[in-house]
Amino acid sequence: MLRLEDLTIRAADRLLVEPTSLTLVPGQVTCLIGPSGCGKSSVLKWLAGVLAPGLTAEGRAEVDGTPLVPPSPALAYQPQQDTLFPWLTVAENAALGLELTGLSRRAAQARVRPLFDRFGLAGCEDRFPRELSGGMRQRAAFLRTIVLDAPYLLLDEPFSALDAVTRLRLQDWLLARLAERPRGVLLVTHDLYEATQMADRILVMAAGPGRIVADIPLTTPRPARSEAALAGVRADLRSLLMEETP
Amino acid sequence: MSVLRQLLPAFFLAAALLALWQGYCAWADVSPLILPAPSDVARGLWVNRADLARHAGATLLVAGLGFSLSVAFAFASSVALWFLPALRRGVLPLMVASQTVPIVALAPLMVLWFGFGLLPKILLVILVTFFPMLVSLLSGYARLPQAYHDQLVSMGAGRGALFRRAALPVARPQFFAGLRISATYAIVATIFAEYAGARQGLGIWILTAKNNFRADLVLSAVVLSAFLTLSLLGLLHLIDRLTGRRFRGGDDAAA
Repeated sequence: MLRLEDLTIRAADRLLVEPTSLTLVPGQVTCLIGPSGCGKSSVLKWLAGVLAPGLTAEGRAEVDGTPLVPPSPALAYQPQQDTLFPWLTVAENAALGLELTGLSRRAAQARVRPLFDRFGLAGCEDRFPRELSGGMRQRAAFLRTIVLDAPYLLLDEPFSALDAVTRLRLQDWLLARLAERPRGVLLVTHDLYEATQMADRILVMAAGPGRIVADIPLTTPRPARSEAALAGVRADLRSLLMEETP
Repeated sequence: MSVLRQLLPAFFLAAALLALWQGYCAWADVSPLILPAPSDVARGLWVNRADLARHAGATLLVAGLGFSLSVAFAFASSVALWFLPALRRGVLPLMVASQTVPIVALAPLMVLWFGFGLLPKILLVILVTFFPMLVSLLSGYARLPQAYHDQLVSMGAGRGALFRRAALPVARPQFFAGLRISATYAIVATIFAEYAGARQGLGIWILTAKNNFRADLVLSAVVLSAFLTLSLLGLLHLIDRLTGRRFRGGDDAAA
């Protein structure tokens, strides 16, 4: 279990996130939802070890009782943009994280290439990111994140740049990948629909300063998450977000 | 083919200007001592082709050596300054100040200090071409998108990996822009250095021709120096094309 305790984030002139604690459970998707500027991405970035310049933070994190010092191999981070390097082929991009862990180029490629088929990228190994569609690029970015085999994934609005249809398809696709190899996921989003489809648990953040105001478990199994089944949760979320957004 | 098509307008414009120049010289009956016609310049080039080739070779040698060393020094310095930001804050203002020293003043001093050999000329070329390349490289490194930085750091990259994996590739266009600017300065700086004192080179050719009131020969050397500069730029363009397949048509999502 990943435990984050009393994380406080400050900008030069204000408190951005007041002391905040949360836990990530292996095999569960936890969505962090809230209005823009509430600090949800900053929480994620602190865990990833890439807090924006100009922000300072205090807090503790531990994985299964062991203190965690970000950035840590226990966490794989995927930012909002796919950040595939345009000068690398898709296979080189996908293997980048593995190479940074000390694996040789050849060994990293050997680990990555067999996964292309399962990620819907067969035949794209030696193409450049600019030759792929938005959805394929995002799958390549997921491949780069997931191949690291970190027990926890930090996903910062990974579907926000995609069109509606691609986003829905990719959400289902990601859930299928997570079902194959369960991990603890912290997914930042501002999309109610996405949160209720993907999450096992939803943490609602309010702004000014950022704080968690609700912790909503979703007990309905995913195959049964119809519009009707989720309507109540969405209505609750909507009113919570409207109340807490100035 | 497309390169030829791109060059056609410039070619036609140059041809028109030369025709205008030739026509003006014939119409106004200007003395060739003051303004030789393009045909006089061409004749000067052809008649003195062996001498000019020898002098151009000497200029090219100095410019090539100086430029190559300058590229190496600029790259090494940029790497050092990337890894030592405190050093950058100290060194950059001095470098900017060094660029305010006029080359006209520096060239004779170099000859005075280091004699008439290759060294003063090469040093002068380095002094003139080093700064644009260094600044281009540093501004290229500074263009590293925060998203790329964050992605690499979150995967455990240290400063070395950040540099090699992202800052260096991101800086490639600026590096080539700096190379092109410096290449145009290299030949001019060499000619200046030769002008201040040399046994061979287009600079000393120009000085001798000027002292003999041979404007046609001065302009012949100018044409040749332009040709050398354009050749150097062409070579850089070729290197860019041959080594830049990965960087062409780049769709930089995070920029």
